[in-house]
Amino acid sequence: MRMGNGKSIAAGTLAALACLLAGQPAQAAGAAASPWCKAGKPVKLAGLDWESGAFLTATLQLVLEHGYGCRTETVPGNTVTMETALANDDIQLLAEEWVGRSDAWNAAARAGKVKAVGHVIEGAAEGWYVPDYVVNGDARRKIKPLAPGLKSVGDLPRYKAVFADEEEPAKGRFLNCPTGWTCEGVNSQKLKAYKLTDSYVNFRPGSGAALDAEIASAILRGKPVLLYYWSPTALMGKYRFVRLAEPAYDARCFATLADKDHPAPCGSASPAALIQAGVSKPFAESDPVLVGMLEKFNVPLDQLNRALAEMAERKVDARAQARAWMKANPAVWRKWVPADAAARIAAGL
Amino acid sequence: MSTPFFIPLSFKDAVNHAVEWLVGQYGDQFRQLSGLLLRGVLLPLESVLRAAPPWLVLLAVALLAWHASRSAGRSLGLAALLYLIGCFGLWDALMQTLAIMLVALALALAIGIPLGIAAAWSDRLRRVLLPVLDVMQTLPSFVYLVPVLMLFGLGKVPAILATVVYALPPLVRLTDLGIRQVDPGLTEAAWSFGTTRWQLLLTVQLPQARPTIMAGINQATMMALAMVVIASMIGARGLGEDVLAGIQTLDVGRGMQAGLAIVILAIVADRIGQAYGRPRARRTAEPRR
Repeated sequence: MRMGNGKSIAAGTLAALACLLAGQPAQAAGAAASPWCKAGKPVKLAGLDWESGAFLTATLQLVLEHGYGCRTETVPGNTVTMETALANDDIQLLAEEWVGRSDAWNAAARAGKVKAVGHVIEGAAEGWYVPDYVVNGDARRKIKPLAPGLKSVGDLPRYKAVFADEEEPAKGRFLNCPTGWTCEGVNSQKLKAYKLTDSYVNFRPGSGAALDAEIASAILRGKPVLLYYWSPTALMGKYRFVRLAEPAYDARCFATLADKDHPAPCGSASPAALIQAGVSKPFAESDPVLVGMLEKFNVPLDQLNRALAEMAERKVDARAQARAWMKANPAVWRKWVPADAAARIAAGL
Repeated sequence: MSTPFFIPLSFKDAVNHAVEWLVGQYGDQFRQLSGLLLRGVLLPLESVLRAAPPWLVLLAVALLAWHASRSAGRSLGLAALLYLIGCFGLWDALMQTLAIMLVALALALAIGIPLGIAAAWSDRLRRVLLPVLDVMQTLPSFVYLVPVLMLFGLGKVPAILATVVYALPPLVRLTDLGIRQVDPGLTEAAWSFGTTRWQLLLTVQLPQARPTIMAGINQATMMALAMVVIASMIGARGLGEDVLAGIQTLDVGRGMQAGLAIVILAIVADRIGQAYGRPRARRTAEPRR
């Protein structure tokens, strides 16, 4: 123990001496030097695969690489896997964490293995939607309103024939989240709570790609579809949807929805989303500089939706879109970082 | 990234527009076709399988296995393995998977065997066909699945189509090979007796090629089973969904159980298929040994 301390003091002195001798006091005293990256360790980020997740991850990578000289890597995987990896410090950073939604995150947060910082997205929404033309029609495309009185989830049984399921034509089809996503469990409970299990099939598309393809296909053909979706997303930026009213948010009821085995859930809208950046404990403890940056990291919602719709329209990858967006909106990201890092980012883009 | 050495080339916009146009223009017709296959073939078969008492299904499998192998021990063993899937609580999922597989396999046979025979007859067709089969086997399935499901809808029909695409190539290749390998002397002799091409096919070539074709069917079955999890990623219910749910929620045990059920189904299908693939004489002689 004592020896260890002695050693580290010696090492510290040596390092300080080395710095002085190398004549780089300016760099060492600079406002933006990340201890983690200076130690030569790469920052591993969750390779989130939904649009906003991919865009925000790419944006953070550009900031870290150009502003702080970090090496970054992304590790692909689904949300639960990524949250578990974060708890084990196999990755250090998760750009878009919907705090409180998953058991894996909650357990890791309770154990202090992960920390949520900042306010990455504000005003995000999620719920049950139908395309606007289903309720209001679309004169330009000659689509008549098929469910003119559809306003809330309580109206759904009346309109089950509009959303008829192919495999069970007597019922409607509710397009749920892909199998195993956190929202899939909540929506399955909501179907029970809203007494829709007799009139609607709980259809799980299996993957995000399949969900998006089915929605895009329905909209291209002007057909009715009932779906769960969330914003910020390209889909929400690109098409017009009507969100169905749900009972007001009630914390006690939402707990019965979040517990996928609860036998008698009661209805409640999903709570306003708290979306933060997730960091692993060792990273949070050793790098106040980058954590400080993450506390300020935020892309205004309207800008984000537009950037995502543009990304889908132009079919460019998240990194290219992040670069283009940062070039066009320096005022936003300059607020996140100190002046010297901002200058380096501007030069690097 | 882009060096002047490479001529910039991209067909992604053309493909994107083509898919959008096809979905907007003919999407509804494709959906009708999909509904026909779904309601006319798949759902009736599935409802029969799911409504049948499990012991009846087990008995049918045991009888089939006995008919194929003439071995009581083997057929009992295979039925017991299937029983195990029921013990895991996966019987209903098994029946759903089985229905998709049987329909996909029937389609693959209806397309693959005639195609294989045609390829054996015509070298030109074979030259065209081989690269197409390579593409079918190696193109990552999501590349064609997403447009396919935009046309045919989410769920079981695109799952069947994807399974057919993946399972077809070995069947075509082995049918082609089996017929080409028939002893030329035998064909010569048949020709000299004045047989027609169809008689030759039915009485000489197909019986001689039977073991190879059966191996092809067997391969197709195994390939179809390999697609079960992919099928669940486009909304088909069954064993694959359990695997997927297990993996997605880090419930490794659940994924493992469902995965094992797929392996068992593969073993049962393989052993029965193999037994049918053996020449008749050896099959009947075996139990006496």
